[in-house]
Amino acid sequence: MILTRGLVLAAVFLAATPLMAQDVPVVERTLSNGMRLVMVERHEQPTIACAWLARVGSANERSGTTGIAHLFEHMMFKGTMTIGTRDPRRDAELNARQDEVQIRIREEMSILREKQRRGEIADMMDPKARTPRLQEALDEFDRLVKEQRELIVKDEMDKIYTQAGGTGLNASTSEDRTNYIISLPSNKLELWFWLESDRLANPVFREFYSERDVILEERRQTLESRPSGVVDEAFNAMTWMASPYHWEVIGWSSDISQVTREQANQFFATYYAPNNITAILVGDFNADAAYALAEKYFGRIPANPKGVPEVITLEPKQPAEQRMVAEVETNPSLQVVFKTTSAVHKDAPALQALAGILGGTPMFMGRPGGPGGQRPPSGRLYKALVLNQKVATNASASFSGMKMGGTFNIRVTPAPGKSPGELEPALQAEIDKVLKDGVTDEELQRFKNATLVGFYGRLETNTGIRETLTQFLAVGTVQDFKDSLARTQAVTREDVQRVAQKYLVKEGRNVLVTSRKEGKR
Amino acid sequence: MIRRATLTILLGVATAFAQDIPDRPEKLQFAPIKFETPRVKDFKVKLQNGIPAFVAQNGKEGSPLVRVTVSWRGGAYLDPKGKEGLAGLFGSQLTQGGTTKLEAAKLEDRLEALAATLTSSCADTSCNISLQVLDKDLPEGLDLLMQALTQPAFSQERLDLAKRQARQRINRRNDDVTSIANYQMRYLLYGENFFASADDTVASQEAITRDDLVGFHARGLHPANLFVAASGQFDRKAMVDALNRTVGSIKAGPQARVSPVVPTPDFPRSPGIFVTDKDAPQATVRWVFPGIRRTDADWYAGFVANQILGGRGFTSRLMKKIRSDEGLTYGVYSTLEPGTYWRGDVTGSMQTKNRSVAYAMRLALEEIRKLKEQLVSDDELRVNKDGIIEAFPSQWATKQAIANRFADEAREGWPEDWWVSYREKIQAVTVADVQRMAKKLADNDKMVILAVGKASEMEAGDPDHPGALKDMAPLPLKRVPLRDPATLKPVP
Repeated sequence: MILTRGLVLAAVFLAATPLMAQDVPVVERTLSNGMRLVMVERHEQPTIACAWLARVGSANERSGTTGIAHLFEHMMFKGTMTIGTRDPRRDAELNARQDEVQIRIREEMSILREKQRRGEIADMMDPKARTPRLQEALDEFDRLVKEQRELIVKDEMDKIYTQAGGTGLNASTSEDRTNYIISLPSNKLELWFWLESDRLANPVFREFYSERDVILEERRQTLESRPSGVVDEAFNAMTWMASPYHWEVIGWSSDISQVTREQANQFFATYYAPNNITAILVGDFNADAAYALAEKYFGRIPANPKGVPEVITLEPKQPAEQRMVAEVETNPSLQVVFKTTSAVHKDAPALQALAGILGGTPMFMGRPGGPGGQRPPSGRLYKALVLNQKVATNASASFSGMKMGGTFNIRVTPAPGKSPGELEPALQAEIDKVLKDGVTDEELQRFKNATLVGFYGRLETNTGIRETLTQFLAVGTVQDFKDSLARTQAVTREDVQRVAQKYLVKEGRNVLVTSRKEGKR
Repeated sequence: MIRRATLTILLGVATAFAQDIPDRPEKLQFAPIKFETPRVKDFKVKLQNGIPAFVAQNGKEGSPLVRVTVSWRGGAYLDPKGKEGLAGLFGSQLTQGGTTKLEAAKLEDRLEALAATLTSSCADTSCNISLQVLDKDLPEGLDLLMQALTQPAFSQERLDLAKRQARQRINRRNDDVTSIANYQMRYLLYGENFFASADDTVASQEAITRDDLVGFHARGLHPANLFVAASGQFDRKAMVDALNRTVGSIKAGPQARVSPVVPTPDFPRSPGIFVTDKDAPQATVRWVFPGIRRTDADWYAGFVANQILGGRGFTSRLMKKIRSDEGLTYGVYSTLEPGTYWRGDVTGSMQTKNRSVAYAMRLALEEIRKLKEQLVSDDELRVNKDGIIEAFPSQWATKQAIANRFADEAREGWPEDWWVSYREKIQAVTVADVQRMAKKLADNDKMVILAVGKASEMEAGDPDHPGALKDMAPLPLKRVPLRDPATLKPVP
């Protein structure tokens, strides 16, 4: 009876879906230099959500330059030969002199690094540890920065976009892509082409060295200040052994503070060629006109015939369970992470279904201007551990697919008085049930329906469509976006059980057990 | 290497100018956009029991989803002393505790079968219940919403779970500087005896019973308290009929009462620099000046002045100085609060490493001083005004945003159609207005500054920019101790 209802529901769903992913009218064009342009016309609101993404992220970094993809994202807001300075020639001279002083600073820093290596000083970044020569160089550098500041038109791109009615000017870096976004009134599309093509054609990485300090503050704020931040970073590094997913996108502090402008130039030349970039436009414009503008503005940037180096290192199969036991200054928790597949792997939809069925499908109500709130998870883990056995107060699961691999994550918060260790057998029992008996048709159907509704929610606004396209284009193609719902609908019970048996294996477990560190305020 | 890169870049510029691309973006021409401000009268309907409903139906580009939110005047300001946390528990349990017809697990099962979402919550001065459902399932969705709204069961078992979850939230209170700053600042602004600073404690959570939730519900469910927002895929008349049959049929029960007026604070604030010691890699700094309400004729000028100071990200002065110039923070912001029930505040915030607190805060005070002492340039004013005016349509981008905004503003008692003349009033703001409002709003003698972080490092300052925290402003410096997370009593 219930089963029939589920199936009937599915049939009704598929019949009444004017907004399926494949019905979003996506137009894809390629410019003469290999840059791609993905467009969706929507004419009800006089706005356009704009983005371009470079297929480069922290996975393209190496030890010693971790964090450079993200640092680079910041540098793209620092202006061009035209934007951001009153005197490009003098500005370039001052940049060159700054680089010279930075060479001296680096020489002194290597002396300090050696002293730290020998234990003569505790922290090479401590101002008290500076040598007189270093202090001299820092003072000289400061003078050059102050002189340059007189020529800088501060954050000029932001100012121009602001005056034009732009909202949400921002950028973000992930393991696999770097994304630059803004929403504009629909009459300002050409301004977007002007400014974005200018920063790809003629960038100047001014204020380079002070921006490293901003990023160190960003790292303190977004990672180190979280009570479990540095433990989470260590756990991730333990989970990924060889893959560049081993380090956080923001990078290690030692690397961030020592990146050079020369390295940034090299990085730009390698990864920011138009043939590694895709632009996305969603909103009130005409696709043919936009294509013509794209060719006029972006088309002037030469392609990089060498192409972009691939990420070569593959994560080896994990030979044994790994476990981290940590004390943190927050409530206890238990996490279990299994490495899985790339977001576009054929197993990905079934892994998503497995996560939905175990962890519940979070359905967000939050839309701009709407009330927030998330319904509590309704997956097997929540029902078993939180509602029935009352040993936990929260339990969730998720599949996180990146370009070169992915993870299946389970997170449980023990109930007051319960230790994370006590929860492990109860959690394993739920996993074992799936391994042995699989999932039910009804569970799977409900997951599919929730996924569809989630898609509707995301495809309601220009920015929602832009974010969804970005997610797919970071790891795959427009076709992956178009096929995604059909792939989800095609998942069978057997698929779900098979991927559970394939990935949720004993030797693949990475376990993080945290307890509260007491006596520290 | 670098020289060669510069050469390539110069060649790039040469090519660019070869095709008729203007050399500056200001030379581009843009066709004007006409945007009519949505009017309340086009959306508002009075239901048969007098409840105002704001109904906004999708155009053809929307999805087949429907959202209905019922909100009401009520919330934590009504929590009895000793039962702080009641409104919060009531808010979650309205939809998580089942109904008299469907126990909690069955209600959740029905919602899952419909791929629908039904959530509820209470904040300080409002509560709401929200439904998201596919258009074809609207009748059943509305029935479930009405069951939860009018016949909640408040399952004891679910209430116990919610209390365990609350206990864990309470335990996390002192875990990071942001959370500590949140409660410390509320005590500094409102004292110990006002709802805005009265958080729940372990004891107050324990004192709350299921009967308290039942009573809270019975008192609050009065048509005079309620407001509805509906948006999405539907026929307008059918939606109004459906709302009349459901929310429109709610009658006041015997215990129901019109929610009392939200009290206003009368706590005499002590200006000063307040420091809470917390061993953390980075400190958080907040500052507060008394502001004005959105209905004040000076609001527009105050809003523009705040945008220039710190309300508009990288275009604002604080961000340019403290982040872009000095690299001292990831972000610094200033906000002019609308002041829903009493005068709002102008609040500033940033995070920076402990030793930079004094210097970064000095820079912020310097920017505030400049705004008071020197007229802003016409150009800076124009950029900020144009930004507000040109971005105005994006505030109304979805039908859901329109319906919810109008319902919220009606519930909060703002004048209808306040937004209609908004752009003209922003346009009328002059450089003299900005200076006048900067002087009026940023009164240093009334300033409350709070820094939470490693006190010894914050107080000593940065050797690269000498100056102790106490010398930052002519205000007394005072240490305020952490509070015990369970009792919220200061820990000596």
